[in-house]
Order: sequence, then structure tokens, then C-alpha cells
Amino acid sequence: MKTGKFAHAALVFYGILVLAFLYLPLVSVGFASVSKARYLSFPIRKYSTDWYGKAVESDTVRDLLFLSLKVAGIVTLLAMVMGFFGALAFARYQWRYRKLFQKLILLPIFFPQTVLGLALLMWFNAIGVIPSWKTAVVAHLVWIAPIATLVIAIRAYSFDPALEEAARDMGANTWETLREVTIPLLMPGVVSAGLFAFLLSWGNFPLSLFTTGADSTLPEWLYAKMVSGYSPLVPTVGMLSVAASAVLLALGLTAPWLLRSLRKMRS
Amino acid sequence: MGDMPILRINALTKTFDDFTALHAIDLNVHDGEFLAIVGPSGCGKTTLIRLMVGMEEPSDGAIWLRDQRIDEVPANKRPTCMVFQSLALFPHRTVGQNIEFPLKLRKVPAAERKARALELLALLRLPEDYYGKRIDQCSGGERQRVALARALAFDPEILFFDEPLSALDYRLRKTLEKELRELHLRTGKTFVYITHSLEEAMVMSDRIAIMRAGRFEQIAPGAEIYARPSSTFVAEFMGEVNLFDVSANAGDLTLSGRAAGQFSGQQGTLMIRPESLRILAPEEAAEVAVSGTVTAEYLLGSRIQYAITTAGDKSVTVEVLRENGIDGGPGTPVRIGCGASACHLIAEA
Amino acid sequence: MRGRERRLGLLYSLPVSAFLALSFLAPILLVAAFSVMPPKVFSLANMPDFSAYGEFLTQGYWRSVAWSLGMALAATLILFVLCWPLAFAMAKVFRGFTLVLTIGVVMTLFVSENIRLFGWVLTLMKGGLIEGYIRHWTGVGYDGLLYNVPIIIFGLVYVYLPFMLFPLAQGISMVPDDARQAAYDLGATRWQILREIELPLASPGIVVGSLLCFVLSAGAIAESKLLGGQAVIVIADEVETAFTYGQNWPLGAALAMVLIAIVGGIAIWGIAKADLDAMIGRRR
Repeated sequence: MKTGKFAHAALVFYGILVLAFLYLPLVSVGFASVSKARYLSFPIRKYSTDWYGKAVESDTVRDLLFLSLKVAGIVTLLAMVMGFFGALAFARYQWRYRKLFQKLILLPIFFPQTVLGLALLMWFNAIGVIPSWKTAVVAHLVWIAPIATLVIAIRAYSFDPALEEAARDMGANTWETLREVTIPLLMPGVVSAGLFAFLLSWGNFPLSLFTTGADSTLPEWLYAKMVSGYSPLVPTVGMLSVAASAVLLALGLTAPWLLRSLRKMRS
Repeated sequence: MGDMPILRINALTKTFDDFTALHAIDLNVHDGEFLAIVGPSGCGKTTLIRLMVGMEEPSDGAIWLRDQRIDEVPANKRPTCMVFQSLALFPHRTVGQNIEFPLKLRKVPAAERKARALELLALLRLPEDYYGKRIDQCSGGERQRVALARALAFDPEILFFDEPLSALDYRLRKTLEKELRELHLRTGKTFVYITHSLEEAMVMSDRIAIMRAGRFEQIAPGAEIYARPSSTFVAEFMGEVNLFDVSANAGDLTLSGRAAGQFSGQQGTLMIRPESLRILAPEEAAEVAVSGTVTAEYLLGSRIQYAITTAGDKSVTVEVLRENGIDGGPGTPVRIGCGASACHLIAEA
Repeated sequence: MRGRERRLGLLYSLPVSAFLALSFLAPILLVAAFSVMPPKVFSLANMPDFSAYGEFLTQGYWRSVAWSLGMALAATLILFVLCWPLAFAMAKVFRGFTLVLTIGVVMTLFVSENIRLFGWVLTLMKGGLIEGYIRHWTGVGYDGLLYNVPIIIFGLVYVYLPFMLFPLAQGISMVPDDARQAAYDLGATRWQILREIELPLASPGIVVGSLLCFVLSAGAIAESKLLGGQAVIVIADEVETAFTYGQNWPLGAALAMVLIAIVGGIAIWGIAKADLDAMIGRRR
């Protein structure tokens, strides 16, 4: 019944193979981004980082970066707040329409994003809102707020109700219970939900496509360039976007450790 | 019981990384007996049972079933089976489907399977309509019976039990212990039962093997283990006992008559059970006698237990019937004693 | 205490459910309303005539639906077979490596899917990473692997792998080890354990993972556009074309409604069957 050494090694190998499969296209993009040629062809003959210089200097790229950051930042904040309360309703409290609520939360995640983007475009048009980066925030939230709710719900499930009851028993009111017990205990979940929210918004394309109006986010711009013919800036900006995600993720993963060592240093 | 053991374990060793769970142990299981393997948690008994059913592979040594060596046979090819601590009933199958599972694997026709399942339900005193019930509709005791029925449907050469009663409440456990004993007698199968409760083992089994830190301390019928434990570990494992170091011949213990002949000048530990001791009347003679002061008393229903501290500051426990108790509470000086036959000398290195 | 829980549950659900009502349910209702309007109108102040649905049937749009659903089904089946061994290993065999895999796979989700698909274009195209090097070393090349149906399915498999892997691993971790060992002890072979114990007991994870993959693949658009060229036109692509180039909102809405009805129907059925508390909270 136990997995033998050979089977274990085979499974590890398979796992590495799957990871390689997932990352291979990024390797190609990475190579392409340092190719000097205007028209890409492998094997790459001359390497250069010129395109990175051009990308960093470009005003368009800076504007795109700034807009994408702004959208992702606001989406993150709103998703954390909605997700926090949503998760308590999802996992912690027993109330009448809980099962229905759980299904409502899951539905947008299952929904085709292109169709959702178009539906929102019609909706904004019907209620007289001109699409801009602000409507993109709404569109991203339709998909990301439920995901944030689920991520925090995982933590809320393991939350012992007796802790809240104990706080109330000692005289805390609803707000004090929330502040002293519930929020601190769910905080790790809220932080990872925030990380998810930011990164998913940062990389999202199908929702942005129809809802940004005259504005444009990074993935949108990349897509427009991709379908209109090859530009050497595409892999370069793509790699910059991937690098930004990686840096943020690394920060997010090491943040608890950094905080702890900071606190240790102070004491 | 046949002469040839049904299961022979020879110098069986199991190591996990740098921890040795079993130290080259030997064991014979007799055909048709009810053997209980008892020990505190971490003593290696669970590892032993997992080796016997084939869930683990031994690091060294051999296991023989009759004349076939089985330690390298995988669990699904061994003619033995186990009732798990968690029972491991399949939650997605009904009671009937659970019982029929091993028969289905052997491609027994459906009608025959059902007939056998109903027979087993009857054997375990479960109503026939449980056949179609879901597992989560059964109570704890009923699940025990379903798990047993499933194991019996397998028709194993030896049926192993991994503490299946440990999660039940006291009264239900007592009932099922007796049922299991009765089932053993009715089926005539060989049962090997792992438990941490010696009391449970005493009620059910023909022989008890006491384990400690990966070795057997003593393998004997329950009555013998009770009366003549081979070590202080076994003596203490069975419950409260009073142990006196006879070689030191401490002033606490006064030996006279037969007791003096048997135990004076010996090396070892003298075991006296609390219920063997009695309160002595003033001037009453006893072969073994101890003097001290009552420090506490505990009511145990029909019996009463005293903690007595001797002059040598040793605590001795005495358990007597209520009507034979002491007048006066803690602080009362008292003499206790028993006959030489109630004592057992543990000669330990 | 019970009354308080009931009130707080309702209160705390309000921000997210009000938001979803306004920006998820309402837009879908709007799409539904537009789908029955006469062609090429931009307001609901018209007599409904259902002509867009007629167009769906007569103009061959059902073919796009069939392609989308067919490719989604193929991708889902491939993903299930591909992910099962790894999901099993993550849930039951690996220890530290599960975390490495989880982080490694989740990280890809944060890279825009069109960058990753673009990476496959660079990898597979003529003169791309694979063909370029093969030609460089052997002198023999090929015409590139892009712009056909299998490569679209490949793209779907690639993009939605995490959506199969994680629910499957979650489902498999819900199979008690004791149940597997008991079956083994009772004489079941490895294959019988898979069929009798693991598949049925992991079914919540299988259902959720397959549904997610199927539904997301059926509505996918970037894979067919970037990798598939014009090999086939998927339904989401038709929806987009009708809305943008065609400027025919009712047609786009009707096409969207067909997709929503199929996909939403399957999703609602699946979500209704899954025990969310057990799946997410591991309560049994």
C-alpha cells in the first residue's frame, strides 16, 4: 500500500515536469525580451537589454504601469473589506440564507469572463456611466471579491466560535469582539486574500478588455500589440509585468517572517 | 487449540529512521485463541499489528502463517484482516455494501453475497433492515458490529483488532467486550486484539502479551499475569499495587513465619495488591505486617481505599470492604497486613 | 447567541451580496432583456421579437457553440487524467514538495494568461524556441505547431490546469487513509481501490474541478485567438464580434445568453451538489 521509492521518485519527476510545462512559455518570453533583433527568431544570435531601456523610458509604458497599479490597489482594498465580512457570513455564522449566499459567491468565479465583461459594458452604458479605469475596478471586483471571500473563508472555517463567545462573555460588544478577536485571528487570511486580489487584478485581461473604455491596463495593451503583429516591446513589458508580480509575491510570502524579525530586533 | 501455532513471529524488528519500534521480538499465536497485546501508547503494539496485517514491511525478521512465510506478502494478498481503530467503514456505501465488499472483490454472485451479509447481520444481532442503511445512520455500537461483520465476511484466518472500542463510552464498551468474547467462542476464529487497557484484555482474552518499548515483558494467561507479574512494569500496569524492596529489608515491612522463610534475604520487589491487605486488630499477628498513619480515604462504592504513610515515609494503598474500614479519619495510626500467599516476589535484575 | 449569529450573518453578507446583485446579477438580467430585442437596437424601448435567437439557429452560430463545448470537454477529460496522479501525490504522498508545487502552480495564475499564451506562440511557432533549436542542431525544421484545433485544446489544458489540480487534490485529501487501507486489507488491488474507494470518495473534488475547467474552457477566447489563429471561431469570440464590429447588441446578447444558459446551468447544478462546508472547511 505504501508508495515505493521508485513510484515516489516518478511522482516527484512528474511534478517537476508539470512545473516545467507551466513555466516553459515564460522562458520563451524571457529569451525573446533580451533578443536584439527586431523580428524574433530562435536561436537568438545577439542578446541585448536595449528593449528594457526603451520600455522603462517609454511614457506609454509608465502610464500603463501606473494605471494598472491604481486599479489593482483599489481592487485589493475593496476586496479585502468585502471578503472579510463575506467570509464570516460564508463560513462562520449560521443564518437563514447562508447556503444561497454561498452559491451566489461561487457563481461569478464559474462565469465566462469575456461574457461578464461585455455584460458589464452594456450595463454601464444602460445606466449612463462612461467606461474608464473606475468601471474596470468594478468589473475586476465582480470576479475577485468572491475569490477573496473564499480565501478568507478557508481561515474562518477553522475559527473556534467559543473565542467570540468568550469575548462577549467578558463584556465585549460586537465592535469590540470584532476588533479584539475576530480581525486579528482572520488577519493572515485577509492578507493572503489581498495578495491574491492584487495579483489577479494586475494580470487580468478579459475583464479589462471591455470595461476600461479609453483607458488601458498593461495586459490589455500587450494583447493589442500581440494581435496586431510582433513588437519587441511585448516580451520586454511582459517580463517586466511578470517580474513585478514575482517581487510582490516574494514580499507577500516573506512579510510574516520580516515582521517577526523586525519585532524581535525592537525588543 | 492446535499444537502448531497459526502465526509465528521470529526476531521481528522494525526501525523508522533512527527510532527502533520493535526489537527482534518473538511471538506464537495459537490456532483459535484470543490473544490480547497490551501496552501503553508508543510501546510498538500498533506497529506490530500493522506488520502482522501487512501495512508495513519489517526491517528484519520473519512472520509465518502456518508453514507459509508471509512478511513479504502484501496486505491484499494475506488471508488475514483487521478491524481498524477508526473502523474505516466506507462512508459512500451502505451497511450491506460494506459487508459485501470483500465478497464483491472475489466476484461472489450478488444473491450469494446478500445471503451471506444477512447471515452476518443476524450473527451480530443487527436487524435485517440495516442492510440498506447508510453508515452515518448507525450509532457507534452498530458501526462496531458492521465493521466486525465486514471483517468476518472476508473469512480471515486471523482477525486483528486495533483498539476498535477505544472511542466508545464506558458502558457500551463493557457490553461490546462481552459480545466480542462470545463471538470469538461462536466463530472459533483466532483473534489478535491490540489495546492499551489491561482491564479490557482481561475480560476478553485467553492470553495476554504485555509490551513495553518495543519488547514483550510477559506473555501469559490473564490470571497468571494478575497473580505473578514478571516485572514491576507489568505489576504497575495492571493498576494500583504496593511494591516493597525486600533486599533493603526496610523497617516498614515486618516479615514473620512463612513469609520470613520465603522472602527474607531475597533480592527483588515484593508486590502486594491493595485488596489483599487488611486492617489488623491491635496485637493481631500477620505474616506480613506494616505500621503507619492514615493520610487519606476515598470511597469507591462498596469498597473504601486508604492511603497510609509508614514511618519510613512510604505510601501504601489498602482497599477493604466498607464494613471492614477504620474508625476515625486521617491521622489515625493503623497496622495493616496479609498472608505470605498474597504476596508475590518479583525477582528483577 | 443564535439570534445574534443570524443577524450578523445577514449583515456581514450585505456588502458583497449587494455589490454582486448590482454588478453581476443586474447586468446578466440586462443581457437577457437585450437578447429578445429586434436586431441592431441600442435601447430596451422596443418590442421584443426574439429574432436574435432565430439568427443563432439559422446562421450557423450553433457550430461555434459545439466547437466551444467539444473542446472544453476534451480539455476537461485530458486535465482530469493529467492531474489525477499529481493531485494524488500532493494529497497523500509528498510532504514538503506539495508546498513547492502549490506555490509554483499558483504563481502562474498571477501572470496574465495572454502573456503565457504568447509565450507558447514564441515556443511553438516556426522559428520559435523549439523549432528554432531543432533546426539549428539538426538542420531539419517543421512548419510550426500553431493554428489548429489540437493546439487550442492544448492551450486550454495549459491555462486551466490549476483549476483541475487544486480541487482534485482537495477532494483526494478527503479520502480517509483508513478506508483505503481497509480496502487493501480486505483484498482489493490498487485498481479496485481507485475504482471502489478513491474515485467515489474524492467525487466532490472531481465534480468541482471538472466543472470549473469545463465552464471556464467553454467561455474561453484567448486560446483560440492567440494559438488557434482562425482555425475555429469559439462562441465567446462570436459574442465579442457581435457586440464590437457587428454593433448588434441583441445578437451578441442572445449568443451570450446561450452560453450563459449552458454554462450557468451546469455550474448551478454542480454547485448545488457540492457540500461547500466539507470542501472548503474540511468538516465532515
